[in-house]
Amino acid sequence: MDIVMPKMGESVSEGTILKWHKKKGDHVNRDEIIFEISTDKVDTEIPSPAEGILTEIKFNEGDTVAVGTVVAVIEANGGANINEKAVEDNAVISEPVKSQSAGEKKESYAVPETGTEINAGSAAETTPKSLVEKGSNSSGTLVEIKMPKMGESVMEGTIIKWHKKVGDSVKKDEVMFEISTDKVDTEVPSPSEGIVSEILIAEQETVEVGTVVAKLSTVEAKISAAEKTPVKNAGQSETEKEVEEIKRQYAGAAKTDTVKSSAQSAGIKPEQKASKFLSPLVLNIAKNENVSFDELDRIEGSGLDSRITKKDILAYIEKRNSIKTIEPAKAEEGKPEPAADVFKLSFEPSYSVNDVEKIPMDNIRQKIMQHMINSRDTSVHVTALIEVDMTGIHNFIQKHRDEYGKKEGIKLTYMPFIANAAVKALREYPLVNSTIEGSTIIKKKFINLGIAVAIEPTGLIVPNIKNADDKSITGLAKSITDLADRARNKKLTPDDITNGTFTITNYGVFGTIFGTPIINQPEVAILGVGTVTKKPVVVEAGGMDTIAIKPIMALTLAHDHRLIDGMLGGRFLKFMKDALESFNENSI
Amino acid sequence: MAGKYDIAVLGGGPGGYVAAIRAAQLGFKTVIIDKENLGGICLNWGCIPTKSLLKNAEIFDTMKNHSADFGITVKGLEFDFSKIIKRSRDISDRITKNVEMLIKKNKIERIRGFGKLVSKNQLDIFNNEGGKFDSVTADKVIIATGARPRMVPAIPVDRKMIITSTEAMILPEQPKELIVIGAGAIGVEFAYFYSVLGTKVTIIEMLDSILPVEDREVSDTLAKSFRKRGIEIFTKATVEKAEIKGSMVYVSINVNSEKKELSADKVLSAIGVTGNVEGFGLEELGIELYKNHIKVNKSTYETNVKDIFAIGDVIGPPWLAHVASHEGIHCVERIKGLNLPDINYENIPGCTYCQPQVASVGLTEAKAKEAGYEIKVGKFPFMASGKAFAIGEREGFVKFIFDAKYGEILGVHIIGSEATEMIAEAGLAKALEATGESIIKTVHAHPTLSESIMEAAAQAYGEAIHI
Repeated sequence: MDIVMPKMGESVSEGTILKWHKKKGDHVNRDEIIFEISTDKVDTEIPSPAEGILTEIKFNEGDTVAVGTVVAVIEANGGANINEKAVEDNAVISEPVKSQSAGEKKESYAVPETGTEINAGSAAETTPKSLVEKGSNSSGTLVEIKMPKMGESVMEGTIIKWHKKVGDSVKKDEVMFEISTDKVDTEVPSPSEGIVSEILIAEQETVEVGTVVAKLSTVEAKISAAEKTPVKNAGQSETEKEVEEIKRQYAGAAKTDTVKSSAQSAGIKPEQKASKFLSPLVLNIAKNENVSFDELDRIEGSGLDSRITKKDILAYIEKRNSIKTIEPAKAEEGKPEPAADVFKLSFEPSYSVNDVEKIPMDNIRQKIMQHMINSRDTSVHVTALIEVDMTGIHNFIQKHRDEYGKKEGIKLTYMPFIANAAVKALREYPLVNSTIEGSTIIKKKFINLGIAVAIEPTGLIVPNIKNADDKSITGLAKSITDLADRARNKKLTPDDITNGTFTITNYGVFGTIFGTPIINQPEVAILGVGTVTKKPVVVEAGGMDTIAIKPIMALTLAHDHRLIDGMLGGRFLKFMKDALESFNENSI
Repeated sequence: MAGKYDIAVLGGGPGGYVAAIRAAQLGFKTVIIDKENLGGICLNWGCIPTKSLLKNAEIFDTMKNHSADFGITVKGLEFDFSKIIKRSRDISDRITKNVEMLIKKNKIERIRGFGKLVSKNQLDIFNNEGGKFDSVTADKVIIATGARPRMVPAIPVDRKMIITSTEAMILPEQPKELIVIGAGAIGVEFAYFYSVLGTKVTIIEMLDSILPVEDREVSDTLAKSFRKRGIEIFTKATVEKAEIKGSMVYVSINVNSEKKELSADKVLSAIGVTGNVEGFGLEELGIELYKNHIKVNKSTYETNVKDIFAIGDVIGPPWLAHVASHEGIHCVERIKGLNLPDINYENIPGCTYCQPQVASVGLTEAKAKEAGYEIKVGKFPFMASGKAFAIGEREGFVKFIFDAKYGEILGVHIIGSEATEMIAEAGLAKALEATGESIIKTVHAHPTLSESIMEAAAQAYGEAIHI
């Protein structure tokens, strides 16, 4: 009987004989160790397949031979010849049981139908991919939901909240998610009816406009899948189920994983604060240095799987702290950067944690903050003030308020009158209706009148009335009401908030007499409207100075002195004053 | 055999052969060139054969000095020095053959010869007689030629009486007396080995402690243990002259400006290594060197010549096999374009395999202070460990250095039995930027020596239970 070098594994093609435990002529029992071999995988002892006498040793210790090579011959004991002979052909030494690897099993038992183990194994390997592929395959009717473009200059948006999760059904126009851009927060409705099949971008992640954020399988797809499934199931064996089970496990695993932006990130829990793995050390540093989770989210990690390392967070803190000292210099250079990080100025806290409540800023607040600082750093703000006698308009409103409410369905206020006067003034002094681009003045021939709208509890947004100069006072009144309503209900469209040319902010509604507003960039002026108060004023009546009581309003014009000097600012305000004071019923 | 390859690896040590296998795994057509057996110094003349020798010493030490502690009586205990050496060589032979097989399995072309860069992309291969017999071209070349013992004029190595580590592991006879110059890991390990076998050993170290890169407390503990064994130690000692006269070597040293004359039948020079940068065509190609090592960008491992890379001992400290392997993998993965963070050289464990073993990762107490950290130190002696008691290995301790401000693990130092195995936990903790708390709150199995790591961390925060 030939003893051959056994195959010790799929990829092993040779073995080295380390040691012969028997020498020529020795008697060996079945399963007694004859020799030891070494391969790149294992060292192992080789037992005899049968009892007999070792009659020949073909290789010496230290020799390396190919798998299958005959290394020795055993002469079976006499008497058992016939039986042994029969065995002999097959008795090419079988591998020692110990070394029978999974790979070997695969080879011998790989029958596809019953090969559950093998199938399951390979399915497990490819599951994440195949899940995705499956989605797109069954999807002649798979709809991709993209990050919408929220305005000309808006390049990216942050998903604030998913209203739907994977597996949820949605109706057409039902809100799927909320987004926030640097301009506006808005809800995004579903373009069609269907089932959410994938959510690709997690909450708080920011992606470029046009990025696919979710996939929706439409109703047809669902039905066809439903039709197909039973048929498929009937035809598929246990293996299929097992594969599904493994897929489910994988999906589950991905859920608990804090995957950054993979296809599985739908599982990130909304209450979860940090969206990536943070090492204990990074967390400690963040705690000590008052680095918020929001900030941590923005730090780019240099570690394995983009983890934030100690180095990253320390570099961030250093940068954050240095902004404080760099800032004034920047302003002097007249090259203010988008002040993205300025709000992170660290101030040494002198309070105990129990005395304060820490509130992370929402996106809108952060954007407002950035816009305000940016404006302050961009424009040279100068504020001029003028008092306007609102008697004519006051009386008109008193007289026509009810009638107006009934006829037009809106509440008549001072605002449309002021807007109308502003439009006229802008037409008269178009330089106020312009923008600075480098050393060029862009004088606009259209007037898109921005109206600052306060959003409870702490927001502010400036939608604009397109071509306000085409509108009557009534038209302006309607537009203002409409914009304010939509702003408060998050129904503004991207168009509403882009391309404004001049802004009016009415802080008078809160009783403020006058203020010095900040210009809405890239505009060059903003009109502040104070409250209308009855005041004693000196008027001339019959050639005599006399004191009268009149509804007086302070208008302030904050203008950018880079372009608008005091003369133009003053003239603009005087023009408005004259227009408002000379109002009569025929104007409407 | 002349062929064209994606990657040619020059040198088959733990840097080179690992780089070659990783390259093959990533689909590169790869060739590896080395005139010796694969495995480099590590498998042939370093890590593995010396650890084999040390195991013999450990067993003998236990049987000779501690068998009574365990109630075992040993009579007629003796050893056969030549068999000790043979065991070490056999192990080395076996393991290098395994590497050859791994190379074959990964379908890497193996050329046995001396490779020399004749151009940026071409290597000529020479036999031992200097005859060119082959030439290969490759898009990228990785130089992994390693390092060799450093020589200085004051110590004229003849490889018979004044020897290097290579000869020290294949001496035909056990020396009666051995002077070890240099108390780094290599020197200290041989000092231990020969001392256990009965050789009278003297260590000479230039700096102020043995294992000078280790934490001072660790070095002092080891020195104490060595002195107890009868090893004589001179620190802050410089060798002025070593001379062979007849069958003895005479060494003149200067200790604290005091001259001293020592003699022994063998002197081991273990004063560090220097890069193998000569003869490979590096100068001709203008590859920039730095202190006898190749200068590389430690992010890509590329030299100043495009498409020529270098890894391992030849690029300089910390001359460690595990670093070379990681650099090899990193280098190849970068060539492949994989995005991965650079190797963090602050998190590399260092091990010395004498008894008690020494292992550490990160900063020593002194270095941490020097770096300006305000530190917190935690220490736990094996004396207080139940497992250490049970196995009769009560020597040594675990020491943690924390940054007091953020709780970062700055350094972990272990001296004691199995220290080299236990350091892995500290390495992982540092790599994952764990803090003391992470270690304290990790449940460690009882009874193990590793519990001492948890206890040492806890001790820094006043939370240790068993001391």
